Amino acid sequence: MKIRYPRIFLAAAGLIIFAPLTAFASDIKVIANPSLKVDTIPAAELKSVFLEQRNSLADGTHVEPVLEKSGPVHDAFLRQYLGRTEDDLRSYFQAMVFSGRGPMPKELRSDAEVVAYVAKTRGAIGYISAETSTEGVKTLTVVNTQDSAQRKLITRVEPDYPETLKRLSIGGTVRLQVTISPKGTVETVALLGGNPILSESAEAAVKRWIYTPGPSRTTLEVSISFDPHR
Amino acid sequence: MHRRIVKLAFFCASLYVGPSTLQAQEFKLFDRTVQVHGYVSQGFVYTNDNNWLTMDTSSGSAAMTDMALNASSQITDKLRVGAQGFDRNLGQLGQYHPSWDWAVADYRFKSWFGMRGGKVKTVLGLYNDTQDEDFLRVFALLPQSVYPTDLRDATIAHVGGDIYGEISLKHKLGDLSYTVYAGHRGDSIYSGYPYYLSSFGSRITSFGGLQYGADVRWNTPLKRLLIGASRIDEDLTGRGVAINPFNPAAGLVPYSEASKSDWTNQFYAEYTVGKFRIDSEYRRYWRNQELFGGTSESFADVRGWYVSGAYRIRKRFQIGSYYSRYTITNVVSGALSIFYPPTTDAALPADHEYDKVITGRVDLNKFWSVKIEGHFMNGYGSGPYPNGFYTQVNPQGFKPDTNALVIKTGINF
Repeated sequence: MKIRYPRIFLAAAGLIIFAPLTAFASDIKVIANPSLKVDTIPAAELKSVFLEQRNSLADGTHVEPVLEKSGPVHDAFLRQYLGRTEDDLRSYFQAMVFSGRGPMPKELRSDAEVVAYVAKTRGAIGYISAETSTEGVKTLTVVNTQDSAQRKLITRVEPDYPETLKRLSIGGTVRLQVTISPKGTVETVALLGGNPILSESAEAAVKRWIYTPGPSRTTLEVSISFDPHR
Repeated sequence: MHRRIVKLAFFCASLYVGPSTLQAQEFKLFDRTVQVHGYVSQGFVYTNDNNWLTMDTSSGSAAMTDMALNASSQITDKLRVGAQGFDRNLGQLGQYHPSWDWAVADYRFKSWFGMRGGKVKTVLGLYNDTQDEDFLRVFALLPQSVYPTDLRDATIAHVGGDIYGEISLKHKLGDLSYTVYAGHRGDSIYSGYPYYLSSFGSRITSFGGLQYGADVRWNTPLKRLLIGASRIDEDLTGRGVAINPFNPAAGLVPYSEASKSDWTNQFYAEYTVGKFRIDSEYRRYWRNQELFGGTSESFADVRGWYVSGAYRIRKRFQIGSYYSRYTITNVVSGALSIFYPPTTDAALPADHEYDKVITGRVDLNKFWSVKIEGHFMNGYGSGPYPNGFYTQVNPQGFKPDTNALVIKTGINF
């Protein structure tokens, strides 16, 4: 007797089997030891850190990559940010190790181990699933500079410079992390650093900026200067 | 031959250990983490005709063993030190005389500027510095036109220093890596060239000299396309004794040879897309040297290139193939020219090697692989600079074609 399985049952079974094996970039958090001064990291810089092509960030801060041994988050990270498979990456590091050009990076078994190691190790940078608690570490936003280079600013609104602050020569630079929608509008603005008295005005202005449309959501860093002598 | 197969089988059986025992080892020393890695590989080669790579391959030979062990540690954020010992036996070469493969102190000031000094692996083309580590690739033997395993000592390392770095190019033009180096090359007397010279009754006691060069490789904007170029210049001297070629009955006389001009240019490209990798390299080696204290002069022009492809069919199974082409021409002037007529016709089997190769690789686990490779060669490129085929192990003379079966297995951690 031939047993026929309904297609929907097969599809559901497929989802159950394969869903846990697949993760996407949006499911990954890049974390770092709080000693790192940055809150964002360009994707190209992240790649060169994890390929051990550099051991410091652009600002000179020492960094040490930490990898997971295997799993869907590990695979997704390699695919999304390094453009390599696990086997490729293993050969890449082995070539470095056996030619005397670099060490094998630290490999840990789970998200929890990565968080614990990153929390206690100066300069450590790793990745975990988005649901994992990040107590003791900071989360870095990965900025795709290629995307951001393609997103041109077409409408710029200048921030109001409160007259009182200007008169008192209070100025400085406000650094903001901006998320741009595929349509080009600014979706979210987060303060990264700078003078907090000026941030409100800067955030209000940036929210009204309009960029060229793009294929996906883009995150980039914006700096706004307030010069009292101008 | 039966005993050799039993030896190989015993070696394979001895590798059957749990993967957990093969994890890379780490330990603490003066509060610093020390990493330890190593590998062992064992090969078996059978050829239908000529004996190859100084082994008695026409009877089947397992005299093909490589092993290495290294330890390294990050001393400070920017300073790393390490060393690797290497040992090999390949037919008449190596003969289990261990050597320092590399021993370096590496200080990286910035991503675009670092320095390493000590005994440093020489960067030349895609695979020179990793040519011994066959577990990094599908193939058991790299294309012998560009990476002759019997002549590894000629390019493998130098005692000196490198300056290196990575530069991100603007305007989305990719990344550039560079290495500039200078140092002293010292060949083992158990390596291919001294063995080759012994066929003329020479006994080399030292061979080496200054080596300097550079490598530039460009990770292009096209994802996983790498293009590069390397150059080495060398000033080499060999010393020893040799049978007097003009009066063999007079016995041994001092022998010397010295470079007048010795350089290698290499160009290469590698492209990876999904599970498929293709790479290709071209190497030209030019050597002009004085022989017997300047009484004669030799001009050799060695050219090699290959195209290879590899495909991962399953996670643990890969296949690969390459075509490798090698030619050599040579002119000797001066007193020795009466013994060595010019060889300028690269179409002759004595002056070329064309090799078609197919390979299958199975990874039994993360640490242990087995490869089976077939070589279908035409020509034996036997002189005046060796490339796999030596008269000492082919006293009956050479036949134009050689088919070879190579089986290689190894573990690494």
